[in-house]
Amino acid sequence: MSTQATHAQQAVVDKVIEIEILRYRPEQDEKPFPQGFEIPYHPDMSILEALQYIKDHLDSSVSFRWSCRMAICGSCGLMVNNIPKLGCKAFLRDYYPQKVTLEALANFPIERDLVVVMDDFIKKLEEIKPYIIPERDEKCLSEGTYQQTPEQMEKYAKFSMCINCGLCYSACPQYGLDKSFTGPAALALLARYNRDSRDAGSAERMKIVNQEQGVWSCTFVGYCSVVCPKGVDPAAAIQLLKVESSKDYLIGMFKPD
Amino acid sequence: MSKRKPYRREMNNDWWLKNIFYSKYMIREGSSIFITLYSLILAWGVFRLSQGEEAFNAWLSALQHPVSIVFHLLVLLIALYHTITWFSLAPKAVDLYIKGKPLDGKLIVAGHYITFTIVTIFCLIVIML
Amino acid sequence: MQIIKTDVAIIGAGGSGLRAAIEIAENYPQLNVALISKVYPMRSHTVAAEGGAAGVVQDSDSLDQHFDDTVSGGDWLCEQDVVQYFVENAAKQLTQLEHWGCPWSRKADGNINVRAFGGMKKERTWFAADKSGFHILHTLFQTSLKHPKITRFDEHFCLDLVVEDNKIQGVVILDIAEGEAKLIQAKSVIMATGGAGRVYTYNTNGGIVTGDGMSLAYRHGVALRDMEFIQYHPTGLPGSGILMTEGCRGEGGVLINKNGYRYLQDYGLGPETPLGQPKNKHMELGPRDKISQCFWQEQQKGNVITGDRGDVVYLDLRHLGKAKINERLPFIRELAKAYVGVDPVHEPIPVRPTVHYTMGGIATDAKTATSLTGLYAIGECASVGLHGANRLGSNSLSELAVFGQLAGQQAAEYAQQTEHQATQPLQEKAQKIIARTEALLNSNGSEKMADIRQEMGDCMEEGVGIYRIQASMQKTIDTLAELKVRYQHIKINDKSSVFNTEFLYAIELGYLLDTAEAIAHSAIARQESRGSHQRIDEFNTRNDVHFLKHSLAYYQADKAPIIKYSDVTITRSQPAERVYGAASETKEK
Repeated sequence: MSTQATHAQQAVVDKVIEIEILRYRPEQDEKPFPQGFEIPYHPDMSILEALQYIKDHLDSSVSFRWSCRMAICGSCGLMVNNIPKLGCKAFLRDYYPQKVTLEALANFPIERDLVVVMDDFIKKLEEIKPYIIPERDEKCLSEGTYQQTPEQMEKYAKFSMCINCGLCYSACPQYGLDKSFTGPAALALLARYNRDSRDAGSAERMKIVNQEQGVWSCTFVGYCSVVCPKGVDPAAAIQLLKVESSKDYLIGMFKPD
Repeated sequence: MSKRKPYRREMNNDWWLKNIFYSKYMIREGSSIFITLYSLILAWGVFRLSQGEEAFNAWLSALQHPVSIVFHLLVLLIALYHTITWFSLAPKAVDLYIKGKPLDGKLIVAGHYITFTIVTIFCLIVIML
Repeated sequence: MQIIKTDVAIIGAGGSGLRAAIEIAENYPQLNVALISKVYPMRSHTVAAEGGAAGVVQDSDSLDQHFDDTVSGGDWLCEQDVVQYFVENAAKQLTQLEHWGCPWSRKADGNINVRAFGGMKKERTWFAADKSGFHILHTLFQTSLKHPKITRFDEHFCLDLVVEDNKIQGVVILDIAEGEAKLIQAKSVIMATGGAGRVYTYNTNGGIVTGDGMSLAYRHGVALRDMEFIQYHPTGLPGSGILMTEGCRGEGGVLINKNGYRYLQDYGLGPETPLGQPKNKHMELGPRDKISQCFWQEQQKGNVITGDRGDVVYLDLRHLGKAKINERLPFIRELAKAYVGVDPVHEPIPVRPTVHYTMGGIATDAKTATSLTGLYAIGECASVGLHGANRLGSNSLSELAVFGQLAGQQAAEYAQQTEHQATQPLQEKAQKIIARTEALLNSNGSEKMADIRQEMGDCMEEGVGIYRIQASMQKTIDTLAELKVRYQHIKINDKSSVFNTEFLYAIELGYLLDTAEAIAHSAIARQESRGSHQRIDEFNTRNDVHFLKHSLAYYQADKAPIIKYSDVTITRSQPAERVYGAASETKEK
């Protein structure tokens, strides 16, 4: 977690940008408060690098998660001017000379500063059985791989791109209002497995989908898909699952017990 | 003793005013109230029709009241907004593939508008005739 | 202090750690597994691997060819019995990942597709577009959720190993959110903490790649083997070092200098191949060490482009066309657009070599066991002997599957024959570890951590970079010694418990410094040039008489490490000249 070389040396000395961070230190603070920092401005600098600059040079107690800095590990989600973003994929040039305000991801409890408690999100990912449930026994390795055409892959490809950053949960007012909602990323992951030709676990997962806190808590706000940094389109996954869920319901009505 | 003290931010009732995307969403949802009202007026008309010609004509003349006309124009605007927002979301609920590639969202939206235009023209012709 | 008893503890939940955990859960259901990671598993750096994983599938290919490519690619410093086991099991383990759901890219008929990769004679790199590591990691993480016997300790930081009776008996971990230490008492421990690329300033690695496991094992007397071999990936983005996969070149991308000239042909990798027709082991499909060295040579000749972000050459993909770039390299396009403002469909991408991979690591035998009884090591933190002096791209993702499985099995077998020892002495050890850690937290010196980190990274680039000379390596060694002294006097402002990342950075900096020291000392002692260790002083050639040997760095508290050597296992491939391009064809004839 050591910070990388900063832009300190390269920065244009006379240009500065103001970064305001919503701080919260549970051992000291009753509630969060904003703290402003002025840092040297560089157009290439990401929000993450700005945070690293602050931690290295201005206030070492500012806490945030990060790792890959290339928008694939999903660690550095936060609210930038009230919009959920990956810190590593948002750049100062898009805000300068205005002030940038940073806050921990909405709809999650704040553990400290920009770090949120991810437990509920992780639990939801765990609960939707996100693994191949084979038809009968597991296929023997000597039989080689499953056949799966590019067309069959296309059915689930998009939904397999989720990096678990949590931006969609922080964009979802339904999740904000009711934490029992399974939520966008978990449902997209569920759709990913249900739509995989190698999987035979749909029936089991549909029990989760059909619940009130499954797809039917979604009112199709659609903001989850807008903020998704990876084009996963969880809103689409949920609508497609609603179609499946409705089919289940109709079939259930006509099927004798 | 744990020193953790996770801070939960409350969602205020005005949450939907803080982000234009949410505001638009609430207008979309709110527009359904007006569409419901309009449907009730139509249903009332059908009911009046069942009571005979006089009752139906009374209903018709009531519709010509300026307040009613303003209301109808308002509902028309809201219904158009509702339509546009739903059409723009339509691709998300469509699961069609052509040659293994998902059908382009723009095509799906365009398809909705084309169907909408044809049905509207058809209705207008029927009414005019 | 909370004490948790388990059978096998795994430190690190990236590709290899998860693979090991699943192996145990599936085949040793009576055993409990504690899977410990300082981040959530899907944040692990496996996630950033792009190009793919090698495993023989084509009829025209053979295990022998994969073996030969790997051994010559490693400049004959590979353990050949290990390579043999690896090539025999690679495709099998990649198939296993496929059964678990990994979305490998396919041919039209539904079979696995493979792409060309540097130093590989045949196309044998399985890929999932250009997010192979991401898909492997998520597949493994999600599959691990099937197994209730795997208890995860997410965001738990490993503070130290607990060794008693010359056996490893557990680990002490810090719950990052709570700021409290726990003792995990285990019968066997698997180290799977990844590499140490962050010892250099410019690298493709995530911030978490700080050599934790290497350093922990090293401090407990386990040798770090072949640490001088550091892989520079030839195509990182300038400034950030973000990786542009070798798959770019596998798909037909070319490298050009400021004159638009494909300079690799001047360095024994030619003749020039026609645009859009990559040829295995030629030109852009040469091995990483050589291609990175070519950049340095071009830089000396003044043939590179000097921009705001430093010297670069161009990686040109334009001739591949938009459709192919979108199908095979969509992530590359996304990254180039976001981080250097270049759309590879229309413009060439500026690139430069950046540190990518540590070939060396915790010395293990062919079955992943270290010299410390009960401790196993896998993945980038380990040196099982597969990569020798230079790793071929796409061998490491297969490595984590093959040796992750093997380590799981080995650690489980060992745990089955072992009983938990008395907890009391372990608890005492743990208390000492915690006391030491608290002392660090309370350190109130004046040295700024960020400065030490920066100076370490810079001196590593300077002394143990692509090309090395005695004097600059010595300078790096001296600087590191000085930095280690300064580290004793660092200032930690934040004394809090909950999610104290400043404190974690401080511990990581300690791990980085020890690992850096092992690298520099191993490098200066190797008086020859081999693979990624290239000297341009008097030792500029390979010397099989004295240095066809693994280096072993042994930790000495407050002193320079001792460097020893061990033999290389050679089964059927005797050291020969390492040739690519036209010369490789002549050699075959």
